[in-house]
Amino acid sequence: MAASTPATQMITLTTNDGVDMTIERQVAERSILIKNLLEDVGETGEAIPIPNVSEPVMRKVIEWCEQHKKDPPASNDDDSDSRKKSTDIDEWDQKFMQVDQEMLFEIILAANYLDIKALLDVGCKTVANMIKGKSPEEIRKTFNIQNDFTPEEEDQIRRENEWAEE
Amino acid sequence: MAQRFRDAVIGSFGDLHCLAGFKTPASAGTPFRLDEGYSEETRSQSEGEAAARAASVTAEESEQHVALSSLPDWVLALTEEGRSEFAFAILRSLRTSSIAAIVERLNSRLHLDPVLHLPPEVTFQILSYLDPETVLRASTLSKTWRTRAVDSQLWKLLFRYEGWASTPWKVRQYEEAQNKRKAEAAERRTEVLARRTRVRRAESSEERHASKKRVREQRMMKDGSRDRPVPMSLDGATDGAQAWAEQHGIIEADDSPSEDRMQDISYDRLPQTRTGTSDWNFFSIADGLMVSSPTSELKNASAISSLLPPAKPSLLLDQGLDVRVNWHYLYKQKRRLEENWNDCRFKNFQLPHPDHKDEAHSECVYTIQYSGKYLVSGSRDRTVRIWDLDTQRLTVPPLRGHGASVLCLQFDERPEQDIVVTAGSDCHVIIWRFSDGQIIKRLDNAHSESVLNLRFDDTFLITCSKDKTIKVWNRKALLPTDDAYPRARIASAKLPSYIIDIEKVSPTDHIYFKPLPEYMLLMTLDGHSAAVNAIQILDGQIVSASGDRTIKVWDVRTGSCLMTMQGHTKGIACVQFDGKRIVSGSSDETVRIFDRATGAEVGCLKGHSNLVRTVQAYFGDLSGAEVELETQARESDRRFWMNDLGVAARPSQRQKRGENDILAYGAKLPPGGGGNRWSRIVSGSYDETVIIWRKTPNGGKWFPAKRLRQNEARGLAGGRPRAGAPAAGAQVPNTQQGHQAVNGAQAGGQANPPSVTLAQMLQAHATSLLTPSNILPTPLPTPTAPGTQPLHQQITNHAQAAAIQQHLPVVNTAQAGQQQPNAPHGAAHHHHHHPHHHHAGANNAGGQAGGNSPRVFKLQFDARRIVCCSTDPVIVGWDFANGDPELELVSQFFGEG
Repeated sequence: MAASTPATQMITLTTNDGVDMTIERQVAERSILIKNLLEDVGETGEAIPIPNVSEPVMRKVIEWCEQHKKDPPASNDDDSDSRKKSTDIDEWDQKFMQVDQEMLFEIILAANYLDIKALLDVGCKTVANMIKGKSPEEIRKTFNIQNDFTPEEEDQIRRENEWAEE
Repeated sequence: MAQRFRDAVIGSFGDLHCLAGFKTPASAGTPFRLDEGYSEETRSQSEGEAAARAASVTAEESEQHVALSSLPDWVLALTEEGRSEFAFAILRSLRTSSIAAIVERLNSRLHLDPVLHLPPEVTFQILSYLDPETVLRASTLSKTWRTRAVDSQLWKLLFRYEGWASTPWKVRQYEEAQNKRKAEAAERRTEVLARRTRVRRAESSEERHASKKRVREQRMMKDGSRDRPVPMSLDGATDGAQAWAEQHGIIEADDSPSEDRMQDISYDRLPQTRTGTSDWNFFSIADGLMVSSPTSELKNASAISSLLPPAKPSLLLDQGLDVRVNWHYLYKQKRRLEENWNDCRFKNFQLPHPDHKDEAHSECVYTIQYSGKYLVSGSRDRTVRIWDLDTQRLTVPPLRGHGASVLCLQFDERPEQDIVVTAGSDCHVIIWRFSDGQIIKRLDNAHSESVLNLRFDDTFLITCSKDKTIKVWNRKALLPTDDAYPRARIASAKLPSYIIDIEKVSPTDHIYFKPLPEYMLLMTLDGHSAAVNAIQILDGQIVSASGDRTIKVWDVRTGSCLMTMQGHTKGIACVQFDGKRIVSGSSDETVRIFDRATGAEVGCLKGHSNLVRTVQAYFGDLSGAEVELETQARESDRRFWMNDLGVAARPSQRQKRGENDILAYGAKLPPGGGGNRWSRIVSGSYDETVIIWRKTPNGGKWFPAKRLRQNEARGLAGGRPRAGAPAAGAQVPNTQQGHQAVNGAQAGGQANPPSVTLAQMLQAHATSLLTPSNILPTPLPTPTAPGTQPLHQQITNHAQAAAIQQHLPVVNTAQAGQQQPNAPHGAAHHHHHHPHHHHAGANNAGGQAGGNSPRVFKLQFDARRIVCCSTDPVIVGWDFANGDPELELVSQFFGEG
């Protein structure tokens, strides 16, 4: 089926704020959601509505998909734990993810919704790296987390967690 | 889990709407307008968004709305960029402190809490990238963070990421048993309720609580007085588990009629417990994000008012419909168990039970295997014995059938297998039923000389012998068209005449094939030039270790020899294979690690001072670890060829590759063989010690982390060394004292008992060695033993010792045949023949004193124990659960590592 699909074929997406965006099908198909949709519905030439993603976020997502359009498709049988565990991010992706937190979370949500696993991975790793090596107070500051524990509860949890200290 | 994710994805849509909804206008490139009384939007969806927006507006945001609405219309009419420039111009006009204050006020716009903005399956993934210590730190951030961070499935993943093995079938079995108990209890409760409704109404909940507490205290006292809690049976329904569960506040079901009063409270109150547990109710309820049993809430009501899930993870999670094992708890207990290994906190035990000495082997024990609950042993006394490790008792009377020493065995107790295979000096292989000890089949004269080792998998039984050959047998009936049927084109494999060459038979004749019955010889592998001492089979590959100093890898289907590995300088006694590495022990006193892919030697462990007779290794690779291992190996190669400045070094400047002085350029494994931080090798030697090897955290260099001695273990196992007098054998051993010795040693932070105890013990043991009267039956003469001295310490497995040392210098051969029955054969003997052993440092202090410590023949370890057999008829073990009932209960869920 890939053979019958020229790489340059263009498709149009409509974001939830009503903006039409025309991109290469190959780029759009980094999204498994869109890929399956195109395969199921067939090429109708109509714009595909993406009701959960706004234009600025979609722009970022497409930028990522452009960069990674030549990547081998994500295989479901990749069960390598040693790879899954790693939070290494390649340089381009690291730069790409240097955005404000609101945009970062929206990219993650969009990747989750559009089913772009590699982008979701990069987003989650970025957040994980923001947590690593920080004290609880520093993490709370980073994410504006409201501590709703009483001091007694906090103390109780800290004491319980002592088993994990080296 | 997939279902859970799907649900969560659907759930996340709402969230996405929220986030995108109220923020889109601010970040959109189009002019921002407040409500002007009309909308260009015609899609009905915008109404939903508006509602969601309104619902999610926080105090701060409404403040912003107020601020926005107070802006002049002309400002609002500007584009995003226009407003940005305007705002920037205003900011620039302010004092720095004012700007800082504004930034501070905007904090909530710039820093967003992921757990409030991202659905659980996304935060699950984020948390899965963190190490367990960081996940626990995350659990202290806020209540919502905590519910996400203590998720059982997350900890199951973190457990796996440590490279720890688990036994999923035992977990399932245990969960099923718990669910069954819960269902039965519910049924009983309904009946009781029906009978007692009126009485019930009069009772206050305080009374119920109090009566429950009484019951619990009674039970705890009862259990606490036990020396060793009643072991868990596999169905999980014994007293021990119940007592434990009670102490930890989770009662799933109880058989005791006196307690049925509380049971109804527990389940009636379940829904209340859930309220407000989490912001993600759909998630918590659907997936039971650790909804604790209300029983624990009752119990801990005063201590924990609002903490849910409770601070301490519990073994079981009651998810309403289903009781599940909590992996957060399992992870924690596994770490505690590992601490015990690191700090050498253990309790010794022995087989036979000190109170049932009559069940002991009467001579030395050459081979053992155990799997969680059961241990099978084979001895020079010609018997095979099946032990229950929990009770330390025989499950069936000794299995008699061999005409000489039993040298090797393997068993599988699972009902679908129910099999023990044994072989030995009589050249026979016997297949027994595990459950009742009956002989199913005999392969008489399977080899022309002693059968030294055997292994089986689902398809094949492999035997190896002093006669230098390896034989392959089928475990199930085979047709020539079956995949497992020999495909022999290789000269090194000899096929019996009844094996059909399928390629020479016309396909039309295939219908005339009769199946080959089970346990027929499929092929004989002839390639070693000396006795084959040990074999392994994994994934269709046979790994064999021989007295000819080589290790060979064979294809079990074609019989071709795929690789020959050299490295050991003397005969090889034992071998282990995990698919990537071959670990072997040799008469050259080393343990070596070979890379299966390239045959390169990647590790050489020096620490023993005599033949290494038995070894087991655990590396704990993650799936897909090959890539990482190869990267590490290449990095090590690069360091070898480059000096510190990164330029190619002259040979004289080259560092030795790795820490173990091994040059293995091009190997697919890094020096030491790789593996995770929990990696462990345990080896047993004729130098009478067991060494636990660990790796240095950075260099991957193996070092002897701990030396264990069989006789010390036996002294602490409850069977005090016999005091020399024949009457001592009749005495009931003082178990109490034995345990005190253990505790004393632990208090001092050391596994070794106080020196006084040790000295007394050794003296007593030495005396006992010279007193033949305490040996139970007169040993049977063994065909392979030239001198049939009726003493248990006349031990050398002649067949095997001779085999291992066949190609060795004369001095070693002399050693093999020179066992003096009445002389302590240890230290003095070594010093006479092996002056170089003087430098075996750490070994010396104990070595001199413990000269009577028996040679180790075979050991095995799993997550919890090391068990070893030796020249002594008593099998001893080190239990790193160390008497902790929690660890004893959960160890059944841990795999071999």
